[in-house]
Amino acid sequence: MKNFSFDLAISLIAGIFVCLIILPIFALFTATSLSELACQFRSPMVLSSVLISLETSLAVVFLSLCLGIPVAYLLAMKDFKGKRILDTLVDLPVSMPPLVAGLALLILLGGNSKFGKLLSCYGIDLIFSKKGIIIAQLFVSIPFLIKSTKDAFESINKNVINASLTLGASRFYTFKTILLPLAKNGIYTGIIMTWARALGEFGATSMVAGCIPFRTETMTVAIYQNAMSGELSASIAVALLLLVFSFTLLLVFKLRVRVHAR
Amino acid sequence: MGIILKGISKSYDGRAVLENLNLEINQGEFHVLLGVSGGGKTTTLSVIAGLIKPDSGSVFIGTRDVSDLSPDKRKIGFVFQNHALFPHLSVFENIAYGLRLRKITEKEIKRKVDYYLNGVSIAKEKDKFPSQLSGGQKQRVALARALVIEPEVLLMDEPMNSLDSMTKETVLDELKNIQQKIGVTTVYVTHDQAEAAFFGDRVSVLNNGKVDQIDSPVGLFRHPRTEFVARFVGVKNILKVSPIKINNNEIIVLIKNEGLERPIKIRVKKYPVFEIDKEINLCIHPEKIILKKKNKVPENEIPDTGLNRIYGKIINITDFGNVLKVTININGMEMYATIPKNLFNFNIYENVWVCFATNAPHPLCGKKCRAPASERRCLNNSNFAPLNGG
Ligand SMILES: Nc1ncnc2c1ncn2[C@@H]1O[C@H](COP(=O)(O)OP(=O)(O)O)[C@@H](O)[C@H]1O
Ligand SMILES: [Mg+2]
Repeated sequence: MKNFSFDLAISLIAGIFVCLIILPIFALFTATSLSELACQFRSPMVLSSVLISLETSLAVVFLSLCLGIPVAYLLAMKDFKGKRILDTLVDLPVSMPPLVAGLALLILLGGNSKFGKLLSCYGIDLIFSKKGIIIAQLFVSIPFLIKSTKDAFESINKNVINASLTLGASRFYTFKTILLPLAKNGIYTGIIMTWARALGEFGATSMVAGCIPFRTETMTVAIYQNAMSGELSASIAVALLLLVFSFTLLLVFKLRVRVHAR
Repeated sequence: MGIILKGISKSYDGRAVLENLNLEINQGEFHVLLGVSGGGKTTTLSVIAGLIKPDSGSVFIGTRDVSDLSPDKRKIGFVFQNHALFPHLSVFENIAYGLRLRKITEKEIKRKVDYYLNGVSIAKEKDKFPSQLSGGQKQRVALARALVIEPEVLLMDEPMNSLDSMTKETVLDELKNIQQKIGVTTVYVTHDQAEAAFFGDRVSVLNNGKVDQIDSPVGLFRHPRTEFVARFVGVKNILKVSPIKINNNEIIVLIKNEGLERPIKIRVKKYPVFEIDKEINLCIHPEKIILKKKNKVPENEIPDTGLNRIYGKIINITDFGNVLKVTININGMEMYATIPKNLFNFNIYENVWVCFATNAPHPLCGKKCRAPASERRCLNNSNFAPLNGG
């Protein structure tokens, strides 16, 4: 009897959890009519936010590969002074509230800082621009790529790398022909997580880039703006599209993990 | 090319792994580096290969000082522990890897890879991936991959560890054949003294970061120079003694082995190495020990003439066909005797006299100190048994 009531209690609690997740999503899908949605999907503002989000997040994925793989290599393969510090720096953006990150970037890149002034001398204006969005998204999402790639590098048998070296390969050739192919799965996982994080980024982006429709309004920003100004159906339309994107990425990620585990 | 290691030292976090290690390996030699696990064998190979930079010392391959060269410039072939094949490349591509780096035509690459694929009899598996191979096959691929680049020296780190003993013997035989055929200087690392015994042209024993002894396998087993080497190659009955009185042709010593409750006095044939109070290791071959019934001999002090005798208790008897290996506990020290079965009439846990002639114990000095006849016997017998065996 005791067991039965325990099981019942556990099931009830799990049920509450399921409601917590499912009900809001359900509400989202049912808050507006299909015809209204179809109309919104064709609205230029919705489309522009989708394009801006895709453009910036793909740029972020590309940049995080360029920056992240070398950093991951350094952390996984080399011993050097300050390695622990670098390692902590990689974790920092993950634990930092995005709004705080955004504020920090705003101050650094804004017209009042020395750095910002220097940049605008050369005609580079990062604040309230797509470049600003990219920097903000990169800041918060690159750690995912670095960590996943670093783990992949670290799990490669050191002697496999040594074998390549003793066979006459340079470190670069070894990197190209051994490390990258063997870390492939980890890098793909990193790309998916980085991309998902960049797509969903709101706090830092809105701080740095503001919310200028058709220029710096990403999907997340559009959801917020429209909801706040009473354009609920536009907001929902963007939200549903974003959900589709992130569920697809989640699905791909889960499938990769399962394939990997085999 | 020969290999010379000069004064190599390497420590990790203040703990010395190699301490002023010197080693000379001749051109074309098959050299076995023997040592306990954690003894610095892999470190030594890695230093030769340039994968680890020693704290001090230099490495020569032939007449080249390679100390400051990176691994890819040293012209070595390395067969790693657990093979370390490239998991994402086929057998063929694994072997071809080192050739692709060199400016060699595809046709030439194929010819060379095929030659070594056949050389290690693995041609049938050339399109498989490492995960589809057995341990022995992986071993052969690793060997072919290292040899195909025609290295000046071949380094092998415990290559047979993951193989069962049948496969091991076959692969070892093949390895020796190939090595002799191409005459590449080889350093073969193992912790298994049986492998060392059957293999090397010479064996060096690594102990505490130094080479304790370099010798032919036979020399090593007949004349271990240190207690470590003796124990490692399976010599039984090592007595730590300190001489207390030197007579004409005999010497009185006290046995002071660890674990022994009080020193035991015995008489030993005089060797020039003995000095009063200078501790030295003696060994008695187990066949030289005779057991006598307790009541047959009066229980007085050590006899002044004839056999030495020490009082002890039989604690283990193992049957080896014609002979029995008997373990006797002597006040906390263990001694081993090999007794022909037909001469053995004792029970386990029986108290006995352990008797041996004054010329039975001989010093572990590395010099010849025994008659040829008994040398032959000690080689054929217990010395080849594994360390922990009876
Ligand atoms: N990178 C390292 N950092 C710290 N200690 C190490 C490292 N590599 C080896 N050691 C230590 O050095 C000793 C010798 O190692 P090794 O050469 O691998 O021994 P063996 O190959 O004879 O088993 C071991 O005690 C090991 O723990
Ligand atoms: Mg080792």
